[in-house]
Amino acid sequence: MMYFLVAALALGCINAIMVLGFNIQYGFTGILNFTYYTFAAIGAYIAAVTTMGPPPQGVGIQVYILQWSLPWPVGLLLGGLVAAAAGLLVVLIAVRRLRSDYLAIVTVSVGYIIWDVIDNYIPLFNGDNGLFAVPHITGSMRLSSLGYAVVMLIVSALCLGVFYLVARRIYHSPFGRVLRAVREDEVVAASFGKNVFQAQVWVFVIGSFMAGVAGGLLIQYIGAWNPNAFLPLETFVLLAALVIGGTANYNGSILGAFLIIEVVDEASRFLPTFGRPDLVGAVRAIVIGVALILVLRFKPGGLLAESRVRLYGRGEAR
Amino acid sequence: MTTESILEIRDVHFAYGGVRAVDGCSFTVGRQASTGLIGPNGAGKSTLIEVVAGGLRPQSGQVLFEGEDIAGMGRMGIARRGIVRTFQLSRELLHLPVIENVMIAAQDQVGENPMTALFAAPRWRPQETDLLQRADELLAWVGLERLRYAPAGSLSGGQRRLLDIARALMARPKLLLLDEPTAGVYPALVQMIAERLKELPAMGVTLLMVAHNMGFVASVCDDVVVMAQGRMLTRGSLDEVRGNREVVQAYLGG
Amino acid sequence: MGFGLVTAAVIAMGAVGLTLQVGVTNFVNFAYGDFVTFGAYVTYAVDNASGSFATGVICGGLATGLLALLCNLVLFRTFVAQKARVITLVIVTVGLSFIVQNAVIVIWGTGAYTYNVTIGNALHLGPLILTPGDLAIIGASVVLLLGLHALLQYTRFGKSLRATSDNADLALACGIDTGRLVNWTWVISGFFAAVAGVALVLETNTLRPTVGFNELFLFFAAVILGGLGRPYGAMLGALIIGLATEIAGMYVDAAYKSAIAFAILVLVLLFRPEGIFATRGKTD
Repeated sequence: MMYFLVAALALGCINAIMVLGFNIQYGFTGILNFTYYTFAAIGAYIAAVTTMGPPPQGVGIQVYILQWSLPWPVGLLLGGLVAAAAGLLVVLIAVRRLRSDYLAIVTVSVGYIIWDVIDNYIPLFNGDNGLFAVPHITGSMRLSSLGYAVVMLIVSALCLGVFYLVARRIYHSPFGRVLRAVREDEVVAASFGKNVFQAQVWVFVIGSFMAGVAGGLLIQYIGAWNPNAFLPLETFVLLAALVIGGTANYNGSILGAFLIIEVVDEASRFLPTFGRPDLVGAVRAIVIGVALILVLRFKPGGLLAESRVRLYGRGEAR
Repeated sequence: MTTESILEIRDVHFAYGGVRAVDGCSFTVGRQASTGLIGPNGAGKSTLIEVVAGGLRPQSGQVLFEGEDIAGMGRMGIARRGIVRTFQLSRELLHLPVIENVMIAAQDQVGENPMTALFAAPRWRPQETDLLQRADELLAWVGLERLRYAPAGSLSGGQRRLLDIARALMARPKLLLLDEPTAGVYPALVQMIAERLKELPAMGVTLLMVAHNMGFVASVCDDVVVMAQGRMLTRGSLDEVRGNREVVQAYLGG
Repeated sequence: MGFGLVTAAVIAMGAVGLTLQVGVTNFVNFAYGDFVTFGAYVTYAVDNASGSFATGVICGGLATGLLALLCNLVLFRTFVAQKARVITLVIVTVGLSFIVQNAVIVIWGTGAYTYNVTIGNALHLGPLILTPGDLAIIGASVVLLLGLHALLQYTRFGKSLRATSDNADLALACGIDTGRLVNWTWVISGFFAAVAGVALVLETNTLRPTVGFNELFLFFAAVILGGLGRPYGAMLGALIIGLATEIAGMYVDAAYKSAIAFAILVLVLLFRPEGIFATRGKTD
């Protein structure tokens, strides 16, 4: 029981980092990056192949690049940085010229191409077979499952804490104000001298970095990863968590991550399956879809709407 | 009125889809002058403003601001040189509070850089406090201080025009381009807007405004430029221009 | 050689349904791929129940048209009435995608099925190698697209649709019942989605819950290549993609064919977002 709780909390923290990063892009700035999860995948792969050495013997054949055997914090950081670099590339070629739903299509397409390449090009990250036997952050220390979960919880919570402070600081700063202006009306923002494109680039990079670190944490926790883990569906789940939790509300992102991803996930364990194991996942997805639409219809700002953030000394929302 | 001109439009041409909206337009605007831009519908006034404001790139001609050619420079560059505009269809950031609409206009904000925002809070927090104070003063000056937290979208048309002005001033413009600042505003408010605008040249701001309300123009502007068919027809004081037969023709003939 | 034509036919039918709807409603339906899937599954179910594939296809088309209509009546219309932002509607379609795709799983499970139809052996027609099944797909698509052409050019409905797609406010001002038109457009969109789904399953010989969703991006690609809201553009876009994937297939590993199509899409979006054929597009 304790193990499940700790594991759920740890995963909740990791997911919260992703929703937060996604929110900085979409909620704060209005950039809908429909392939956000792909950047988590990039972070995961890089964290793995920089901390793994040559393929371990006797556990099946894996082929992958790098094999640097670096310590885990470095792997995490590199995961974040490479993801950020990929984000930079995407935004440099895409964001400047595209309206919001076009951008959604482009980002999805980019994500699909990346997925396709990783899935098929085996020498990169072992293709469709995925990576496994990724070293735990505790190295060769033998810990129980619970012990390891606690360690991961501490590490994830610390990372979440840092990124939470980052998101909050950004929101309440003049930079955050620029982001809101860009979100609401790019023409007005530019008419007052704001560098719209630069703001969009920064936000894309920061959000991608966070996704990369979260991905790194995830793979170091689970110890394995394969292309089925980052199908487009995953970004949609994050989006649901974002919207339901609260668009542009950094507290809402934490709530959304824990509520949608964790609670619904855990609750669905207790559903009867009627002999069909696939039913649980499907019902869960339907519930999330319905919840998303209901929120958009009746509480479009989310459970914790943006108006609840105290800006300029304002009191609680009207 | 000084002889120095802050803005010089030189033979500007702008056409789209075969329509020659601005067709060889040339005139100057003196520093700290208050100049009206009038003319019949379709004369190209708003298009010209849009060109000066950086939203449109002219096919030929120059727009000299303080001696520098800014034609085609883009909104951001032009704003940073001290030219601020209002929009014909009031463009506020509707979902954001009034105070934020004003704050966004301030220039040279140290905290707008993400690195500074994240790691150097002591450098921008004092500036933020100063800016908030100035923003509140401006809101009071236009009578909107009670609506500090109201989303801009909830303001009436007239209130939004006032917000436009407060916002524009927050940017400390050298040249303020106004596109129909009183459209859709009831008369008492028009007068208030006129009074506020009249204070501006003394504060160092040059005004160039497109307007159709002649009473308003008479009240605020030193002189007017009459545009017709994409170019300047004549200029002078409103009285001089009203008597000009060509001007009357232009308005009637359309 | 010739495979590209089949791909083009499938994409054309799917893209046309999508682009008609986008043109009229001004938002992209991310659940369209799941409409495609739904149509394919209903066809399967009715075919099995009745023993007639033709009945299956007809029922599939009607059922999906009905589904699309329902979505508009129950869902999209309320958001549009509230003047929701385009991006909000896009996210609503994402939620809808979750629901439809997983409803299919709840009803039919995640396993793969095939249709009970014989494809026939490959025929050699000049330089082309096609099976009778391929020919049927190509033939059906030609017939349907010609029918659509007739509808658009010669019927009042078609003209109203084109007018609304061009400028909805103006159309409304001219007395066109845009509400009813939108409803019928959704029905047509759903119908084409279903037919595309059936053709897709015939082409790939697998029916799974993700069959439409996986093709969605190829439909997007054709739609954008041709310009949003332009059915003829979408048809040409589909042809280009079909040919491009066929040619690419000769040089690159077959697994990357989709990636090539997406790369084309991304390039078009970067350099000519209005589409190859648009002279004036709907700008921001």
